Amino acid sequence: MRALPYALFIAAAAIFPMAPVRVFLETPNERTMGTAFKIFFFHVPMAWIFMLLAVVCGVAAGIELRRRSRRAAAVARASAEVSFLCGAGVLLTGPIWGNATWGEPWTGDARQMTTALLWLVVASYLLVRQYGGPSSRRLAAGLAIFGAVDVPIIYYAVKIWKTLHPTTDVVTTLPPSMRAALWPALCALLLVSLGLVIVRTRQVALEADLDEAWVELDRQAQGVTA
Amino acid sequence: MTGMHSIIAGLVGPWILAAGLVTAEPAAAPAGAAAQPEYAPVVGVSREDKEKAAMLEEAVAHKVARDYEHIVWAYGVLWGLFALYGVYLWRRGARLRADVDELRKAIDARGKA
Repeated sequence: MRALPYALFIAAAAIFPMAPVRVFLETPNERTMGTAFKIFFFHVPMAWIFMLLAVVCGVAAGIELRRRSRRAAAVARASAEVSFLCGAGVLLTGPIWGNATWGEPWTGDARQMTTALLWLVVASYLLVRQYGGPSSRRLAAGLAIFGAVDVPIIYYAVKIWKTLHPTTDVVTTLPPSMRAALWPALCALLLVSLGLVIVRTRQVALEADLDEAWVELDRQAQGVTA
Repeated sequence: MTGMHSIIAGLVGPWILAAGLVTAEPAAAPAGAAAQPEYAPVVGVSREDKEKAAMLEEAVAHKVARDYEHIVWAYGVLWGLFALYGVYLWRRGARLRADVDELRKAIDARGKA
């Protein structure tokens, strides 16, 4: 289990070269969007990972609230950090794509707004966890659960409201020549993200153990001197 | 006087006009050479259409180059973010290892005391 993140990084490194080769050289351009369409192949996987990790964070925060599990707290914080990173990627690549195809980077449609909302919720969760002190854990967990609830709203935003984004079945209806480029990009990004979550989870758990050990050492020292 | 002028104009005018018409006629083509009109109607694609097509091709090439720039930026931003986070985790890991070593030393020192 110790070597799991390294195994994930090695697997990602093996798959990674396939993604740009397929995206840039082998995938045909889209009929109306032309070359700019190729941003799809990393914007969409990033959005999926962003939402997946936000759900993981919400579930782990729920477990932390219910069972007071330190492991769950570490998972929640680590997945929130990587989710925040992926969200930043989505919110940067989206406007680059929008600028190339729609002519403006931000149209303020429902999917953009709900995605930005989730990113802000994840950011506030991290800020509360970092600076809120021990008493703010319940508030932070509540924020994480609220973020997880936002995920289905993002997914169905294109069905509920009129948006410029494509419908939810855009991936299932992709031609095989285009779909072939999506999987390597998704796998490479997912493996790296999971590896980072595992590494960060261990670090957060170790930080908590170290804090406890220092407190215990100080307590013993005070006992000895007393 | 005006009557005299109009008589002269009536007599000379037709001759002058006739002479002008004769001299305005194009020179006869040399014998044996095919007649080549200086201005010819369009056959196939006109020069304007060719220029428009060239301009469009240039605009498309420019757009494709800009789109590729966008893609490379987007791709670079993504992996740049991951790389930055990796460096952050690596530095944090090094700090944690140093903290663990410090704790071990503190425990050893306490044990000796």
